[in-house]
Amino acid sequence: MGSTSRDDPGACKDGSAAPDRSFVAAAREPIIVAIFVLAGIFEVLSGDPVAHGAVLFAVGGLLSWDAVHRRHKEPDPSPAEPSVEPMLRPRVTPLIVSAGLAYAALVGTFARYTWPATVSVVGPGAAGVAVAWRRPTRQAKEPLGLDPWGTVSWVAVFLALALWELAALLLQPSLTTPSAAHPTISTLTDPVLASHLGRSITLSLWLAFGWLLLER
Amino acid sequence: MNSRDITVAGYLAIASSGVALELLSHLSQSRIPSFEQVLSRLMRTRSGRIGVVAGWAWLGMHFFAR
Repeated sequence: MGSTSRDDPGACKDGSAAPDRSFVAAAREPIIVAIFVLAGIFEVLSGDPVAHGAVLFAVGGLLSWDAVHRRHKEPDPSPAEPSVEPMLRPRVTPLIVSAGLAYAALVGTFARYTWPATVSVVGPGAAGVAVAWRRPTRQAKEPLGLDPWGTVSWVAVFLALALWELAALLLQPSLTTPSAAHPTISTLTDPVLASHLGRSITLSLWLAFGWLLLER
Repeated sequence: MNSRDITVAGYLAIASSGVALELLSHLSQSRIPSFEQVLSRLMRTRSGRIGVVAGWAWLGMHFFAR
């Protein structure tokens, strides 16, 4: 959970980091873990399946364990080491696009919250996390820094979304009862996901976004 | 305008802000990073990368898995 300059591409090569960057690195992992734990708590409180909350707690726990494990391991051969070798990036081919669309069309036929739908979504999700876990951090070619105020504007948008969603959740009759008057994003997407076409389009977008993330 | 309209309007306003930021980021001399740049920066670290991908996996579970 502590600061590891080798996990912070912005840190200096000799291991020392600027004080502000060092602070960010030290605070980063606890913040990410806290986000997962908080999301897990709300997942359970809102009456969603326990497994969903358990996944969030598990990711938070594994990230904590991983950070502690890496901190006590010298030298660090873990995938946290930025890769010097150019990485082989997965390429989008017509075959992959066809396979993705076929997957979305097939899985879209399954009703939500059924075992076939569960297996079909958990499989790619778990595979994606496993790839992300094993993959070495990419060597940056472009400048590391982003304009702080520009970045803050993005943070503000996502924070506003999270708070608006939380407000809608808390304004429901109860945490486990959806409200038409104060709909959450899940409630608003229910009509879309009720149809085969809606599920297939959503799954296509979900899969494409996952692929885009693994290309990073 | 009832409470549902206000709630939906809030979501639309937030989504519009995101779209506006993305458009502004593509202007020359813009100090605002694109969403892709923010994502790339976030995923440069191991914990950030795993966190983002796990968030994506959870989204799929949330909407489809029992």
